[in-house]
Amino acid sequence: MIRLPHERGSRWWWLAQAPLLLLVASVLLPYYWMAIGAFKTVPELVRQPPTFWVQKPTLQNFYDPGWYEGLVDPDHWAGIFQRVSEGFGFGHYYLNSLVVTLVVTLASLLSASLVAFVLVKKPFPGSRALFGLLLASMMVPWEVTIVPNFVTVAQLGWINTYPALVVPGLAKAFVVFYFRQIIVAVPHELVDAATMDGAGTLRTWWSVVLPLLRPGLAAIGMPVAIAEWNNFLWPLLVVNDAAHTTLPLQLGKMAGNLTYDPQTGAVLMAASLAVSLPAIATFLFFQRQFVDGLTAGATKG
Amino acid sequence: MSTPPAPLLAALQRWHRRHGRDLLLIAPFLAVFALFTLWPVLRSAWLSFTDYHATAAPRWVGLGNYADLFADERFWRAMGNTLGYMAAVSLLAVSAGLGLALAFGSQSRWHQAARIAFFLPSVAGGVGAISVWKWLANSEPYGLFNTLRGWAGLEPVRFLGDPQWSLVVLVAVGVWSVLGYNMVIFVAGMRAIPAHLYEAAALDGATRWQRFRHVTLPMLRPTLLYLLVTGMIASFQVFYEPYILFGTVDAVGGPLDSALMLVTYLFDYGFRQLDLGYASAVAWVLTTLLFALAWVNLRLGRAGEAT
Repeated sequence: MIRLPHERGSRWWWLAQAPLLLLVASVLLPYYWMAIGAFKTVPELVRQPPTFWVQKPTLQNFYDPGWYEGLVDPDHWAGIFQRVSEGFGFGHYYLNSLVVTLVVTLASLLSASLVAFVLVKKPFPGSRALFGLLLASMMVPWEVTIVPNFVTVAQLGWINTYPALVVPGLAKAFVVFYFRQIIVAVPHELVDAATMDGAGTLRTWWSVVLPLLRPGLAAIGMPVAIAEWNNFLWPLLVVNDAAHTTLPLQLGKMAGNLTYDPQTGAVLMAASLAVSLPAIATFLFFQRQFVDGLTAGATKG
Repeated sequence: MSTPPAPLLAALQRWHRRHGRDLLLIAPFLAVFALFTLWPVLRSAWLSFTDYHATAAPRWVGLGNYADLFADERFWRAMGNTLGYMAAVSLLAVSAGLGLALAFGSQSRWHQAARIAFFLPSVAGGVGAISVWKWLANSEPYGLFNTLRGWAGLEPVRFLGDPQWSLVVLVAVGVWSVLGYNMVIFVAGMRAIPAHLYEAAALDGATRWQRFRHVTLPMLRPTLLYLLVTGMIASFQVFYEPYILFGTVDAVGGPLDSALMLVTYLFDYGFRQLDLGYASAVAWVLTTLLFALAWVNLRLGRAGEAT
């Protein structure tokens, strides 16, 4: 391991770390700016030079009790939870994102682990070819599939429905591949013992294999959930009504409308914070799983 | 309809008894996989040879889409932007990631916290973070980047409105989002280097630089290659960053198409103009380029190992 120019313990060590501290600060800058911007009043947000600390914290960007429909007042504006389109507001988009992320993550992980289990421990004629097909499909870039998938979803009549958001993302070949690596190492005796006891494939998977996969489920679940939470392009294609709008879509719309009316900026910071916070919080709780999951390809490949 | 001969029927029944239920269990996965992963590959290949606007049935045009594509100036513009973006982001992010791994590789609390900070964009990136970048790069005097320029005595610029700045902003965002990921992978790679190699080098009187040059760097070679290849592939497919930062109601490419990328180009033709056949052709050109990229990198990797 390479040591730093100034070894730990020397009194110059912290001096050597000072430029590094600046680096860390600059990487965190967008988050800091978002976090303080979300609680600034609009006049403070456009102050010049900008304030680097919130002088008059406000929750107006989330919810302004003094605002009502039609009011034009430089001191009051609609917070993110007051902006309603076709009867649906930010809370509804939040729920959409949450439900879609949870359903896709859970369902795709469970089904992929079942497939991996059957392919490895209950092989059938053609199961090797099937696995080869799954592997090969991982090389196809997503750009190839979005056009025909959009057509398929339209032909199924799924535009502006939840199935359009959920179903196409349920069969994830890379998750099958990930679980296969783990299941291959599971001793056959364990599976055979369950079969002897009269447990069918489904039962064995549920009570023997899944508990063994728990660390793996957590690790691969993180990147899957993050990708789903941030998913932007696919919902953009298949949803254009407010009822099925997800957070990234709404945020994209808000950022697209970012005009030089500073009120849009204030609300945008609040919305960005609301979207990023669950991801940041989950990450801080499950750091290890996150890093394991996101780096799985690098260390195993 | 004739019944199949008895032995065949018996074999089928046996097969069904042994595997039928298992197959039934994985059938839902396989159905979704077939419908949304396999079938679209074939369909996309077919569509790329047709004129298809989603309303009437696809009409065969042979290589027409591809010919149009290669003759389109905007396509080459997108190609140039994408290649420049890809080269800049992957090289900068890999070298800076290595530098950061060297600087923040220890187990001290502060270094661990720093690694978490750098890793944050990999977790809480996405549209939320990009929206903030858009606000930071605001041309108004209260935009933070222009305020910082002001401190340095520089004139404010229109980061998102001046074609000269488009790629600079995009590269900065791109490097920012993968830097921490690269760093964490490098740290893991450095941990895996056996300590005795360093001890041997130290016994031979190797300086710190020599230890880096002749032990760390060669041992990190696979990691470096992996990050370079995956980084190039990912940045080649960049979409939502330019779309959010530069997209407007009537254009996706930013000022004078200076932020037009191959995937935004595909999106523009496929989903704004609903020229789905043409967009499929773009997708296949993109795929071919991605495979070429992976192939060249693998060859370079192997050639490097041989020496």
